[in-house]
Amino acid sequence: MLKTLEWIDRGVAAILRPVVFAGMIALTAVITLQIVSRVFFTSVAWTEEVARFLLIWITFLGAALAFQQGRHIAVTFLRDLMPLTLRRLITGAGLLVAVAFLVTLALIGWKYAGLQSFQKSPSLRISMFWIYLVMPASAAIMTFLSLVDLIRLLSGREARGSVVEGIE
Amino acid sequence: MSVLLAVLFIVFMLMGLPIAFVIGASTMGALQLGGVPLMVVPQQMFSGINSFALVAVPMFILAGDIMAQGEISKRLVAFADSLFGFVKGGLSVVSVLAGMFFAAISGSGAATTAAVGASLVPELKRKGYDPASAAALIAASGTIGVVIPPSVPIIIYAVIAQESVEKLFLSGFIPGIAMGLGLMAIALVQGHRRAYPRGTELSLRTIARTFLSASWGLMAPLIILGGIFSGVFTPSEAAVIAVNYAILVSFFIYRDLTLGNFYRIVMRAGVTTAVILFVIASSSLLSWALASWQVPNAIAAFALSLSSNVYVLLLLIMALILVTGVFLETASALIILTPMLLPLAAQLGIDTVHFGIIIVVGLAIGMVTPPVAINLFVASTTANISLERIARAVIPYLLMLILVYLLIAFVPLFL
Repeated sequence: MLKTLEWIDRGVAAILRPVVFAGMIALTAVITLQIVSRVFFTSVAWTEEVARFLLIWITFLGAALAFQQGRHIAVTFLRDLMPLTLRRLITGAGLLVAVAFLVTLALIGWKYAGLQSFQKSPSLRISMFWIYLVMPASAAIMTFLSLVDLIRLLSGREARGSVVEGIE
Repeated sequence: MSVLLAVLFIVFMLMGLPIAFVIGASTMGALQLGGVPLMVVPQQMFSGINSFALVAVPMFILAGDIMAQGEISKRLVAFADSLFGFVKGGLSVVSVLAGMFFAAISGSGAATTAAVGASLVPELKRKGYDPASAAALIAASGTIGVVIPPSVPIIIYAVIAQESVEKLFLSGFIPGIAMGLGLMAIALVQGHRRAYPRGTELSLRTIARTFLSASWGLMAPLIILGGIFSGVFTPSEAAVIAVNYAILVSFFIYRDLTLGNFYRIVMRAGVTTAVILFVIASSSLLSWALASWQVPNAIAAFALSLSSNVYVLLLLIMALILVTGVFLETASALIILTPMLLPLAAQLGIDTVHFGIIIVVGLAIGMVTPPVAINLFVASTTANISLERIARAVIPYLLMLILVYLLIAFVPLFL
């Protein structure tokens, strides 16, 4: 079973990678369009809104991808000083906290998206449901990834790491 | 509730959870137990990142990453070498200057360290420089990357403090240059003491040749910063121009960027962005909770009860910033500290722009203080030297940076 789960785990990353890439390219293109149209023609009204929505989507889907790659920033130097068994226990407890947080986030995120679905964005006039949907989606993906980690830990293997040093 | 929040925060953090989850989970727990409806969670998380100014974050990261990987950084280093290579230990002075050049293109300390390190470390080793010292100096110069504009942490601060990015960028120049000059001074002294070799001889012809060869890279800050300060572009737009410029130069002029590499760089920049913005999203929730429990005001009141002297309190704040920077990564530390300290700074009569520079420079210094020291990690990987050795060699540079930090905070000339 773990093999199948890990296959899905990698599949999630394989889907998210091009999506994040496309989001970044779209963000660049939209603002390039904004600059070109303002300088040479008349400014387009919807570019700023699209840019903000793209940023929200990149953030939440990229966060899921970062989780899959173990690239979120964490303070692990204390945990890593612990003996192996204790360290595995702490990691497991941390994963349980993560699952509780992510499940709650997915549920209230879904409810929130539903509540906002009658609201339309100011310039594009699309339902805000589609913007807010990304939060429960991302939280659901990360819940799955944490559960895979938990199963890995229970079957005696290491959970995926996290970036200790940060990225800035 | 705020005590519970603090306890949960510390426990979750020490468990090794990702910082964004630590912030989100501890705040959510405290809100739930405090009887606050959790619908505020998605609301605050979205509004925290629903900002056009933040678009500059992914774009400056992407532009810096593209320009760090190829010819642009190599040629900038060659130009810096033609200017200062002739003095004893010239190559280490060059690594500081190259760091300052690259800081004006890139908005991140790690990218600056990586760009300069990749081009200079082999040369420094070959010429007999102490490798640990050389790598430590490059790491220390990397901190300038987030002080001289453009700068990702400055943009984040501007969004949280609702201050103008342009004003903050302008105030970053002099502190950044001061940090560079301080590091150069140590490099010169060490060069003399250790009898390091002289490098490229000083000649106008070499300077002219390397200047022309580096002109595509040198033009980038002119376009980015010129566009922002003349008011032609917003910072977010300037960041996108920088991306387009980097793509054009790397694909069509230097032709050192393959499609495969481009895909990886863009995707990685997207993930880096997501990691930072996810922390911002969850800390908007945290600052909302803290504000509704009046914590920032309580911190201000507590600090003012300790002393009424502005200088004493500012010193305490700076110490707090430095200590936080030792244990937390720059962006997370910035996002957590700013909302807590702003009311205190305002009560002390410290200008929001000046305070932004104080907090960014202090956390930048944290990039070379282990255990959490991104620039040392990058330098250690690029130079292939153990972290312990670099961490020991960085001490003189660290002391100089702290000295400059005190000058920046207390000498009016630097404001």
